Amino acid sequence: MNDDNNEGKKIPILKPSDFFFLQKLLRTMRSPKSKFDSREFAEKGEDYLFNYVKKNNVGPIDQGRRNFLKGLVIGVAAVTVIGIIPGIREIVPPTVSISGFPKSLILASDGSPLKASSIPVNNPLVMIFEYPLKSEPNFILNLGDSSGKPMAIPSATVTIPQTGKTYTFPGGVGPNKSIVSYSARCQHLGCVPPYIHFYPPSYMTSAQLSAPSPDTLTAAALLAAKTSKAPAVIHCDCHGSTYDPYHGAAVLTGPTERPLPTVLLEWDSSSDYLYATGDIGVATYPLGSNGIPSKDPKEDLDESEFGSPVGDKTEISTLTVFGKSS
Amino acid sequence: MFSISKKINDWIEERLMLEDLPFFKTPDYMYKVNYWLGALVAGSFMYAVISGLLLLLYYEPSAGYTSTISIIDSIPYGSVVLYSHLYAAYAMIILAYTHMFYNYFHGAYKRPRELLWIIGVILLVLTLSASFMGYSLIGDVLAVSAVDVGAGIVSGLGLGFLNPILFGAYDSGDFTRVLALHIILVALIGLFFVLHFFLAESYGMMPSRKVKPKAPAVYTKEEWSKFNAWWPRNFVYMSSLIFLTWGFILAIPNALAYLSGYPTYLNPFLNPHPAPSPSSPAAMSVTAYPPWFFLFLFKIADFTSSYLIMVLIGAIIPLLWFILVPFIDRSAELDPMKRKVAVGVGLVFLTYFIQTTIWGAIAPAVPAKLSQLVLVFLPPPILIGLGLAFIKPRGTSPKSGTSPMISAAIFSALTLLFIGAFSMFSQYPSVLTAGAVIPLGILFALAGTKKVLNADQPSNSLPSTVTSIDVNKVNTKVKLAEIMIAILLIVSIALVAALWTIPPTGFLSNLFGIDLGIVFIMLGEAISLYHYVVYVAGKQSSTS
Repeated sequence: MNDDNNEGKKIPILKPSDFFFLQKLLRTMRSPKSKFDSREFAEKGEDYLFNYVKKNNVGPIDQGRRNFLKGLVIGVAAVTVIGIIPGIREIVPPTVSISGFPKSLILASDGSPLKASSIPVNNPLVMIFEYPLKSEPNFILNLGDSSGKPMAIPSATVTIPQTGKTYTFPGGVGPNKSIVSYSARCQHLGCVPPYIHFYPPSYMTSAQLSAPSPDTLTAAALLAAKTSKAPAVIHCDCHGSTYDPYHGAAVLTGPTERPLPTVLLEWDSSSDYLYATGDIGVATYPLGSNGIPSKDPKEDLDESEFGSPVGDKTEISTLTVFGKSS
Repeated sequence: MFSISKKINDWIEERLMLEDLPFFKTPDYMYKVNYWLGALVAGSFMYAVISGLLLLLYYEPSAGYTSTISIIDSIPYGSVVLYSHLYAAYAMIILAYTHMFYNYFHGAYKRPRELLWIIGVILLVLTLSASFMGYSLIGDVLAVSAVDVGAGIVSGLGLGFLNPILFGAYDSGDFTRVLALHIILVALIGLFFVLHFFLAESYGMMPSRKVKPKAPAVYTKEEWSKFNAWWPRNFVYMSSLIFLTWGFILAIPNALAYLSGYPTYLNPFLNPHPAPSPSSPAAMSVTAYPPWFFLFLFKIADFTSSYLIMVLIGAIIPLLWFILVPFIDRSAELDPMKRKVAVGVGLVFLTYFIQTTIWGAIAPAVPAKLSQLVLVFLPPPILIGLGLAFIKPRGTSPKSGTSPMISAAIFSALTLLFIGAFSMFSQYPSVLTAGAVIPLGILFALAGTKKVLNADQPSNSLPSTVTSIDVNKVNTKVKLAEIMIAILLIVSIALVAALWTIPPTGFLSNLFGIDLGIVFIMLGEAISLYHYVVYVAGKQSSTS
């Protein structure tokens, strides 16, 4: 600082900032709160002095300004945190809910619209489409009598054994009024195809009693079909529940206490296309605490964690059952 | 008010014993980013872990592609997290290579840091493997074909039994095994990182060659105890670097999400979007390419049909060299010009890596002729060898045979060559011109810094604390820095206000990443300015 070569120039003996620093240092050293220990200074030398200056904040940058700067930086940090807050929404999973049932065109497995008249009568292959949400499978069936002729399915009243209440099944659609669609999720414990599937009339024989899983019929199912004059049934191989597809998938045998929900179909006679437009009957998932389903299948939609909506198109996938005989 | 905050500060400081942390005390001259490349790697690793855990909340390995798409389309800010996770891995790889080559050319692998170096090489291998697994999790056609190639290499080496162990049933779209291994590898990175970090702290950062010109380059206890303690200065400096890193990791990929229209060979570097699903018709038209950090390996596969040779030249030989180099280059010299063999081999590896990567991007899966190989791979070692032979070690040049005239002539020749190569490269960007421009550029930089240093400073001098600082200049700088911090605060408030209005999903949601990234960059910058005002300028004005 004191440069000896610069005698000609007028240089200040002490810079103002150094002067203030010394003044502050001296004040701090005299103060009884932070007394400067000269004995320790003698022992430890300049290390003690430097530590002392640092400890008592008598540094060259004055404390107030430093705190102000610190405040500004903490301000930027706080603003950054505020910026992250909307990002926290990332951890909230989006709930999938659709306000109503979509009208979905049913597509064949090759992606082109499914023609109603092209659905085989009493098809032993399982045809499934997802509706109204993905992961909600539904059968589509073209029902016929035991000779394989399409059969008009009339409207019917379906009873829910669990609650004793009833609803009206609207009947079949299509050129022969023979096409129906039901949820493919068993109302007993939720088994899905291939465990639950349609048994065409040609399979309603005692030979099926000893067929391997998932194609085993029970004697009770055969008997119940005979008594209610159903040419064919939907049967679940998990626990033996049986449904009557000719009468709105009403319960034929337990353990199920609920019929399969019906998917409402709309047939466009000019294009021969089929549309799914809604569900009736019971909700696919019994959400009540007592396992009693709502009669309003719409309740599935609000609460659904069961998948994303299928949108305005849904594609058929086909599954082979009766592996050995077909 | 400040006395309360000071009390809280003191309380925390005392309880955590922040003043006595067993971390390396840092000399003033080390507060430059090149001494902190490892912290940048660690910063991007931290970001990748945090964003990865957020993605883990949603990713379903049994439906890899569908869940990737649903994260992008329907999770709030899902695409922001996913794209920045990808680029955090990219940043980590680039920074890890930078960190490695920086320390390689500085001889940091020498006594006593051999083990630290080897753990670092292991960390690189783990990072590349974890990144490969993570890249595959997307489940798009590129990911599946990348795993196909990986599985092909494994079975080509006669280790086909490892494929189910490594990749599981990925070809049916089930990535459970790949996800598990991705996480396991990242956990291993964390484990080795802790080891790497504490070893690094115990030896201290590699001192400047002007202070410690020979191995073992470590400070003695007495020297060391006089430096700055970790708390608070290192903490302040480090957080500025980490926030800057995070800012770029957030801003770059989310900005790239809006960029389109670049040539297809830039896809591996610039495109954060996933490719089509492997089972979709669009997949047929996609040219398969691996993640950019394996482009070089992909290209080597075009040179030879033998997987063994490919893995040998692409992975095993370079890795063996890097693991063994502490035991091959055993002299105490740290000056790169006195370790010409090690430096030369490193430069050749670096050049080949960049060249083959570019080649893989421009001409993927196009077989290479022998004449092309010779043209591309022969010039770099010749250029590097000749260049290294002519550059004299620092400190010996004044006395040695080459007169200043000759060295000046060599330097200007090098400059002209570099300029020529660079203009060639910018006109005809190809592997061939890259092979000339990279080594010449490095040599030019080496010779250039040497010239400047030789002219400016007496060699082997200590990095003296700056002796004559114009106090007024420092004061203006301090004022400017203070004003800048205030401006940063105001601008960041405006940006955050805008940020709250950005929709969480859809096309505009990536603006959130850009915006938040810029806010992070500003936070890092504000802390860095604070560091300058309080620690750098503070010291300068007190020593002057």
